Amino acid sequence: MLSADLPPMTVVPALMPQGPFALWRSESGILSLQADRCPHRGMRLSHGFVRGEALSCIYHGWRYAQNGRCLKIPAHPRLEPPEAIRVETYAVTESGGLIWGCLETPAGAPPNFDGFAPLRMMSVKVSPQMIATSDEVDRRADGALAIELAGQHCLFLARAQPDGSTLLFCLIEEAAAPEARIAVSRALELFRCRLEADDLQKEAL
Amino acid sequence: MKLYDYILSPSCYKIRLMASLLGVPLTLRPVDFHPGEEHLTPEFLALNPAGTLPILADGGLLLTETSAMLVHLATSAGPDWLARHDPQAAASEQQWLSFAHRLTASLGGARLCDMFQRPGDLASLQRQGIMALRELEVRLFEQRLRQQAFLASDRPTIADIACFPHVVLAPDGGISLDPYPSIRLWQRSIRGLPGFIEMPGIYRRHELSEEPDPDAANETAEQV
Repeated sequence: MLSADLPPMTVVPALMPQGPFALWRSESGILSLQADRCPHRGMRLSHGFVRGEALSCIYHGWRYAQNGRCLKIPAHPRLEPPEAIRVETYAVTESGGLIWGCLETPAGAPPNFDGFAPLRMMSVKVSPQMIATSDEVDRRADGALAIELAGQHCLFLARAQPDGSTLLFCLIEEAAAPEARIAVSRALELFRCRLEADDLQKEAL
Repeated sequence: MKLYDYILSPSCYKIRLMASLLGVPLTLRPVDFHPGEEHLTPEFLALNPAGTLPILADGGLLLTETSAMLVHLATSAGPDWLARHDPQAAASEQQWLSFAHRLTASLGGARLCDMFQRPGDLASLQRQGIMALRELEVRLFEQRLRQQAFLASDRPTIADIACFPHVVLAPDGGISLDPYPSIRLWQRSIRGLPGFIEMPGIYRRHELSEEPDPDAANETAEQV
């Protein structure tokens, strides 16, 4: 997820390889990554809302802290919610304009892509392997995929999705002008079309 | 103004939303679209031979196309909602008003199939819907680079209201909105506008209003 796509007081579904998780930024800017399921009725917490430093479920307003603990049940305003009511909470950090989540104990700091800044994320209906083996990209030592789009040097980070598709993050050189960013974004759309068309052709064979 | 309305119709909601944002009172005439198909009775076909909802009646004027209704409401009550200040924005507004019909056909069509069990090729409608969402996402991303939060301009126009409802309700047709960050931010801007109203499946931004005070609620209950 791009930092720029998550302003304070918003919650979004973070599309992890294991499925969607609720990723939210509090009013003061603190990030939290939690299970996308309210323990009460199973509603997606990413449909909820962020007020102050807490996330509320859209269904019955159950409110959760950054550590996952239930803070309030509006239907029982005088009840202190038991400690046992909590949402699973995971490690999340922000670096170089990208938000990195980890469902286990993180092995280290997220990678650095010096000189590059994130442009857009998009979903592509092909596997990460198909993107990595495209003639248009070169795999770098750090795992990122280098590609030239609209005459600009770009990097791809590809993450598998549970349905076999890919979430693709495109990074562009930090110094790129707005016109170049628009040109790369449009070239990215065409790149996706080519990949998906190739994939359909393979299926047909 | 009288609106022949169906509560679950995104097209009817467009007009209710626009009127509310402009502060224009509407007289609602609920129509039993599902399951009664009242919009296909002779009485309604006389008003609108196309058999579609909504229908807007204002004096002698009878409108059956939502784009025309949005233009009529904005021209009469809020010209700021028309992108008439610059030729590019005006043309862009027309582009999105026409694009909104593609959203109705694709996303709206998938929703009618999936939710109302109307006949149709759901997989094909979903594919067309995803193509339309991708187009919207890339244009909204470009608008963000231009520091503009809305489709045709840096402020909301009828183009935004024309596109908003079918986009938000795409999941009703089995189409996920999860992978479109620029669409999400655009929706958020619209949902935060003063005068915004809800429909089933489209809710306001609760974080913008004060948290309800349970004690105040109890007092009211006791008084009753």
